[in-house]
Amino acid sequence: MLQNIGLYLYLFQKLAVVLGTILYLVFGVIIVKQTSTMTKNINDKFNFVLIAFAYLHLAFSVFLVFLTLVML
Amino acid sequence: MPRIKDVDTVAPDDQTTAPVTPKPPKKPVTTPNAPADVAPDIASLSDTVYNIFGHTKHSFSSSLIMPKVFNFTEKDDDETILLALRSHWFTNVPWIISLIVMLFVPTLIGFVPTFSLAFNLKIIITFAWYLITFAYSFEQFLSWYFDVYIVTNHRVIDIDFNNLLDKKFSEADLARIQDVTSRVSGVSQTIFNYGTVLIQTAAEKNQIIFDKVPNPEKIVKVLQDLRHIAEKDSTNGGLE
Repeated sequence: MLQNIGLYLYLFQKLAVVLGTILYLVFGVIIVKQTSTMTKNINDKFNFVLIAFAYLHLAFSVFLVFLTLVML
Repeated sequence: MPRIKDVDTVAPDDQTTAPVTPKPPKKPVTTPNAPADVAPDIASLSDTVYNIFGHTKHSFSSSLIMPKVFNFTEKDDDETILLALRSHWFTNVPWIISLIVMLFVPTLIGFVPTFSLAFNLKIIITFAWYLITFAYSFEQFLSWYFDVYIVTNHRVIDIDFNNLLDKKFSEADLARIQDVTSRVSGVSQTIFNYGTVLIQTAAEKNQIIFDKVPNPEKIVKVLQDLRHIAEKDSTNGGLE
């Protein structure tokens, strides 16, 4: 019985963390969208750097989801 | 005895052996960064702005004077950006301090003996924490970088990105500006010379606020000068 509770807790923890990382991934997509909107509205010299950072952040967010699925 | 041939001292009716070629007309003195094909009015406007503000030192400056690369979607073809303003750099200090603190949080938590987690979970949480830290600082920087106040030869513009996907665009014609006032309050604003510029207009949106901009007195002076020029030229069909 206690073993089962431990297993359920572990599954719940894993599910919560995976869900959290997926939500964060959505946030990463929103940041990319936001940066694109901003750079379309205002053109400046360093816009490509900002877009690159936004995509880099998105890539790390995807990596975080994989990391969670693999490590937990 | 031969007559003197110095053209500067030759009287108009004097005959000289060499034909006197007229000097080319002097080029009008314009500011170096002003576009070559600008109309004289634009040149004089840019001179007005340069005289008051000086020149931009770098692209991350809070005040971009006659920026070459900078542009915005709603800009008309015949419109020239005279001034693009962001909030003063000092307004970034609070989030930079937060960023530094956030960077050290995982290390500090590691020293707390009671806070024990599984190694795998620890790695994931630490990684996620640094991602959140990056996202937070990136958001703050984007807000500072893209919340701009623009003064063109036609109008005053306020572009705000309030949150993630919300854009606010306000504008008022230069000729419709009624009153411009500045306010510098507090210790940091007094030390670093930044503050708020309130622009009362006769437009639909009757007030445009330039918040925490550097050199507010200079901005007021620029706007007043531009308004006078716009008022003067409005009878002749507006500024070109």
